[in-house]
Amino acid sequence: MAGTFAVKAARIAIVVALFALWEILSRSGIVNPRLLPSASDTLVMLWELLQRASIRNDLAVTASEVLTAFILAVPVGALIGFAIAENRYFAEVAKPLLFFAFSIPKSIFLPMFILVFGVGFSQKVGFGFFSTIFIVIMSTTTAVESVKVEHLTVARSYGATPLQTAFRVYLPSMLPVLLEALRISMIFNLTGVILAEMYASRDGIGHQIATWGENFQMKQLLAGVVMIAVIAMTFNELVRSVETRCSHWRT
Amino acid sequence: MQPLANITPLKPAGRAGAIQVRNVGQIFKTSTQDVEALSDVSLEVKPGRFVVLVGPSGCGKSTLLMMMAGLRQQTSGTILINDAPIPQPDPDRVGVVFQEPSLFPWLTAEENVEFPLALRGVAKSERRVKAEDALKLVGLDGFGKRHPHELSGGMKQRVSIARGLVQDPPVLLMDEPFAALDEQTRMTMGDELLRIWAATGKTVVFVTHSLTEAVYLADEVVVMSARPGRIVDHLTISLPRPRTYEMLSGETFGTLRDRIWRHIRKSA
Amino acid sequence: MKHSMSSTTLRRLIVISLIVLWEMLPRAGLIPELFLPSLSSTIAAGWNDAGEYGHALAVTLYEVAISMVFACGGGILAGAIVGSLPRPRILIMPMISSLYAVPLVILYPVFTVWLGIGSESKIAFAAIYGFLPTMLSTAAGIQTIDPQLVLAARSMGATLRQRLVRVIIPAAIPTVLSGLRVGGALVIVGVVVSEMLISSAGIGYLISRYRTILDSPHVFAGVLLVLAMAIAFNAAIKWIERKASIWQTGTRAGQHAADDIAAGVVQPAT
Repeated sequence: MAGTFAVKAARIAIVVALFALWEILSRSGIVNPRLLPSASDTLVMLWELLQRASIRNDLAVTASEVLTAFILAVPVGALIGFAIAENRYFAEVAKPLLFFAFSIPKSIFLPMFILVFGVGFSQKVGFGFFSTIFIVIMSTTTAVESVKVEHLTVARSYGATPLQTAFRVYLPSMLPVLLEALRISMIFNLTGVILAEMYASRDGIGHQIATWGENFQMKQLLAGVVMIAVIAMTFNELVRSVETRCSHWRT
Repeated sequence: MQPLANITPLKPAGRAGAIQVRNVGQIFKTSTQDVEALSDVSLEVKPGRFVVLVGPSGCGKSTLLMMMAGLRQQTSGTILINDAPIPQPDPDRVGVVFQEPSLFPWLTAEENVEFPLALRGVAKSERRVKAEDALKLVGLDGFGKRHPHELSGGMKQRVSIARGLVQDPPVLLMDEPFAALDEQTRMTMGDELLRIWAATGKTVVFVTHSLTEAVYLADEVVVMSARPGRIVDHLTISLPRPRTYEMLSGETFGTLRDRIWRHIRKSA
Repeated sequence: MKHSMSSTTLRRLIVISLIVLWEMLPRAGLIPELFLPSLSSTIAAGWNDAGEYGHALAVTLYEVAISMVFACGGGILAGAIVGSLPRPRILIMPMISSLYAVPLVILYPVFTVWLGIGSESKIAFAAIYGFLPTMLSTAAGIQTIDPQLVLAARSMGATLRQRLVRVIIPAAIPTVLSGLRVGGALVIVGVVVSEMLISSAGIGYLISRYRTILDSPHVFAGVLLVLAMAIAFNAAIKWIERKASIWQTGTRAGQHAADDIAAGVVQPAT
């Protein structure tokens, strides 16, 4: 839900206030500046990091892993999800298994991916795929099921062909839901890839974050955290604004 | 359903249950403007009368009822129930029944009816007896142990009425209580309500959109205009009691309803 | 379309055949024991070192329990307060759900620097990890409580305290249970993840340690233990929810597809 100008301004004010608090806590020495470098120092470091080729390289590696995993997981997951939505029997068999898959921490399978793929690109893409596929399946199923039966009945009563029904009823009906599903799947994907990088990797921004942590390089670490947070939130908001534009007709 | 003769009134009607509304106004302040919902409304309801408020949407009839219930304060004028003002809800004087039965789903029907008594710290045994009596009165004897989700819409509303009656207030306020029910249930519930009213002698103020319901149920009908709400007509329903289904198609009924409708049309 | 076998039976068959395959395929050499040790060797490894695993389990459970107090307790409380007050809710909630897009794992190294590699850092991390989604889901759930119920209570002369204790809290129970489920699941994820990354004790630590020496049976024994923990937690919550199911018939349903997905949002991301 978009806010009015006053609300947006208030939110910005809150963020600014939090940064100010951070700055004060660090500079005044209330919190040891070695443990908590000031906000300004962190932002300066962030800027510096973005200029470094190695960091750019890490970002590129992570981005490529995320995209690859996404491109693989979405079609596969969508197909499975669609199959589940269309076939009641299949759904009854698969859904409880899916719910189970949701309730377990998938990170415990990371070692397995390393044992199979070794440490490298495929390991991270594999884990990203694994992290994403379940939510894609679930969302696709929900999206297909969300198309109101009444709309389909109306289409059928006017003699719409399956293709017309697909494009004129399913697609517009599902579009906002699909966009949201993609956005959330991407969140899961990013989390999975970064976790894999932090756990065992030679490159990628997750690995860099872990390294900074191990070496107690707080400025870089915090800068890295802020960087990833900003990138993730920006992407998220972008997709959300597209979603809102597409879903104005939904209650 | 119990025959009329077997139900003893819980309390004989007397002075108790008189309602006086004098020059009441209500102004709502929103962030953009002031809205005058009611303007100089005066009304007197004698004890034991069945009075119905009708009017177009937004005419303030529900607001007036809320103020009589003590759930809202008027911005001007006085409201007296039993010659005393009602600044906050007082279930000893006023029972309220809303359009939504709003029963607590985690309590049984019985426990729902007991709820006002439980709030006052009444002993369990006494509560139980009073709740059972109230449920019997509304024709739900034996349904006390059921949970709301096991009851139909009409039954839920009956439990709500029993809850409003359990402390035996002289006044019962009802805000479109049958609006969410299907037509047939509405008609049955209307008859039920009249039976309960005849047995208990309470003062009833009833808000509805339905002109038919208004004429069928009421001793007096108060017609309100569109916002700002004013009273534009106050008529006595001369039909004999008990009211019957046949009266609906009679000439008197039609005339009365037409008169109300004309007033509403004019003021809307 | 009639099928010869009920779906439950088919599902059970699938699970059973997976278990059988787990045993057979590695034994037959079709899958290297390194990738997938046979089920029997996994269980044997766990059994032989039961003491070690038991101790690790105790550490993990301890961290989970403490984190849950903060994540669920704090999340439910914060969600209830923000969810019922329109101004704070409109202001804060979109910001919190925006925060959800960030892979919070990146915060864990910060905690290890501040709090060391012992239980404190894991509790801090898992508590935050579970707090945000719990708060989100509770705030959403609080809004499904029927305001008419409070109005009815007011009309019966209930004081503020009576309204809170006799109406709002009972009506909020399904939401609270949901918050517990969400928060608890995510806390388990948070604890296990942090133990796997940097730790000196706990099941996650064992899993990682055995991986580095390529001892697959022990790795998988740890994995099994975590699975068992997750299943037990799920079962416990389901049991509680069933006991409280009478409340669910009263609250407003209103499910949109997006809400279903949003419910999926607050599932463990890893």
